[in-house]
Amino acid sequence: MHFLAQSVPVPYPSWLNTGDNTWQIAAATFVALQSIPGLMVLYAAVVPKKWAVNVMAMMFAGFSLVLIAWVLWSYKMGFGATSVGNGVKDGCQRWLGSGVDCASNLKATTGGFFEHFFDNFVGQPGTVTNSVQEQTQAVSAANDIIPFHFPADSLLYFQFVFAAITPLLFIGSVLGRIKFSAWCILCPLWSTFVYGVDAFMLWGGGYLAQEGALDFSGGFVIHMSAGVSGFVAAWVLGPRLARDREHFVPNNLLIAGVGAGILWLGWNGFNGGDPYYAGVDMSNAVVNTNIATAAGVLVWMAMDAWLSKQKKPTFLGGVNGMICGLVGITPCAGWVNGWGAIAVGAIDTIIVWFAWNYLSKVKPFSKVDDALGVIYTHGIAGLFGGLMLGVFGDPNMLEYGCGNLDASGQVVNTSATAFATSSSSCAPFSVSGFMYAPHHLHQLWEQFRAAVFVIIWSALITFILMKLIGLVLGGARYKDEVLEIGDVAIHDEEAYPADQLATLTSAGGGGGGAGGGGGGGAFQLAGFEVGSLSPPRPPDISPPPGALS
Amino acid sequence: MKLVTAVIKPFKLDSVKEAVEAAGAKGLTVSEVQGYGRQKGHTETYRGAEYQVAFTPKVKVEVLVGEDDVSGLVDVIAKAARTDKIGDGKIWVTAVDSVVRIRTGETGPDAI
Repeated sequence: MHFLAQSVPVPYPSWLNTGDNTWQIAAATFVALQSIPGLMVLYAAVVPKKWAVNVMAMMFAGFSLVLIAWVLWSYKMGFGATSVGNGVKDGCQRWLGSGVDCASNLKATTGGFFEHFFDNFVGQPGTVTNSVQEQTQAVSAANDIIPFHFPADSLLYFQFVFAAITPLLFIGSVLGRIKFSAWCILCPLWSTFVYGVDAFMLWGGGYLAQEGALDFSGGFVIHMSAGVSGFVAAWVLGPRLARDREHFVPNNLLIAGVGAGILWLGWNGFNGGDPYYAGVDMSNAVVNTNIATAAGVLVWMAMDAWLSKQKKPTFLGGVNGMICGLVGITPCAGWVNGWGAIAVGAIDTIIVWFAWNYLSKVKPFSKVDDALGVIYTHGIAGLFGGLMLGVFGDPNMLEYGCGNLDASGQVVNTSATAFATSSSSCAPFSVSGFMYAPHHLHQLWEQFRAAVFVIIWSALITFILMKLIGLVLGGARYKDEVLEIGDVAIHDEEAYPADQLATLTSAGGGGGGAGGGGGGGAFQLAGFEVGSLSPPRPPDISPPPGALS
Repeated sequence: MKLVTAVIKPFKLDSVKEAVEAAGAKGLTVSEVQGYGRQKGHTETYRGAEYQVAFTPKVKVEVLVGEDDVSGLVDVIAKAARTDKIGDGKIWVTAVDSVVRIRTGETGPDAI
């Protein structure tokens, strides 16, 4: 007992903060819930009933595929401490300031643009599957003067849920015609070659991060990238059936409301988890997220009521505004103040509303069948959200660093404190947008450069992947006769089967017989004994009461 | 007066509606129905259990017309609904004893 009392218990290594670790996994779980079931039921509800099952099946498969790829190779591409080139090494990055001696680790600083760019392009792929990798303190190239206070698995899972939701977002562009097999091939490849690079560039300490481009939670890396990729994939695929385009009516607005609500509140984890500390900036990010979202909802509904042809506020319009607010604040969440959050949410929603209603009639937008308009509510919303960081970033909204705040929010002491790992001083980290003295355009310029890169890279690689998948599968789009039927043709399931019209035929094992009167009930006879999807159950499982005869 | 009833493939409804309009009929009634003819049904699978769904979703279109327009209308619907594949549906014509337009109280051919 004496020994135990003096040592650090195994579950709590000295670097671990239980509050940080708890919040990180809780936040990650919120984001995971945004995918499943949030986005899953939102998208499944706003498509015609013949496509609902297909959307949900793609969501489940995509979420799972990305996770397997994530632990086997792609997490390290985005967040490994070493780049493929000679750039980022051993958790070193320049933009966070002078806390660490990075010079000896950054060979790229001596080269020209191309060497610097490609040396800091993507991390080295690798697994995170053994006991040491999973239990050690989390590190990332983007993070050295601000050590994480949780284990590697917390960062891996938190980053996974973002990697997973990104391709799921652009199911909204390609649904209603993409082959399930094509989707299952695209997901891990896209996650590897598009997401891995974008994430490393902006978050993993890659070139754009070193230059000073910022993305709090994924306005560029997630939303703009998803919007652009979905748009390009939809273009390569070709449109849905003409009939589906004319009759694309939602099948259940109540479920759409459930999905939308999970998305909104799940965003507390999406943006609230990205400071990596259960601290002050986490609360700021959560509150800003909700403020911007409220502004987005109100602005879109007001514009629908006053400027649309119908002059009526619409619920799905409110959902669009909600997404615009959420996406817009995502790249800014912990770096703007409350006024900034209102501005970002409102301005982003106004821009997207006009794009949705007018830009959609202009080429190339009028020529590409982006089924749910992901290019608007995520692509354009993410782009302008990211740019607005360069305008509304408040230098007094501090994310990390050292020092104490006085009553007016100014940093009064920047000497090294517990956050610093080296003995040198460390400055507080915040973002100074154009609105604030000295009114520099520098951040806006860096945001713009990052946006251009993410748009070009996401579009180019998605185009190549979709073409390759089309070649391998003999077309990535289902034939028209499959598209006419939808879920039943693809999955043998439909969202709203008419029970009295369906007759059990494969009773399978035992003497139940097809639909034989008084059997053990469909569950026991077939579901739990025959089907490949069935969970293994003991054969003597009790039939439900009433099924006995 | 006759009632023309057509059971068609759901995705042919738009072209049938346009054809019926073009043929001069003043209105039609549509319902979603399920049924089977010579076309086989399909199977669905829930939790590993396979179900035979013998009934295929169809759309039933009903149009009231005067005696003179019947054969023309039937031809128009048949042409619009045809895909030359099994399951295209059927059209039949029945006699109608009386018709009343509810709002005006008109009866007979005037009410069509």
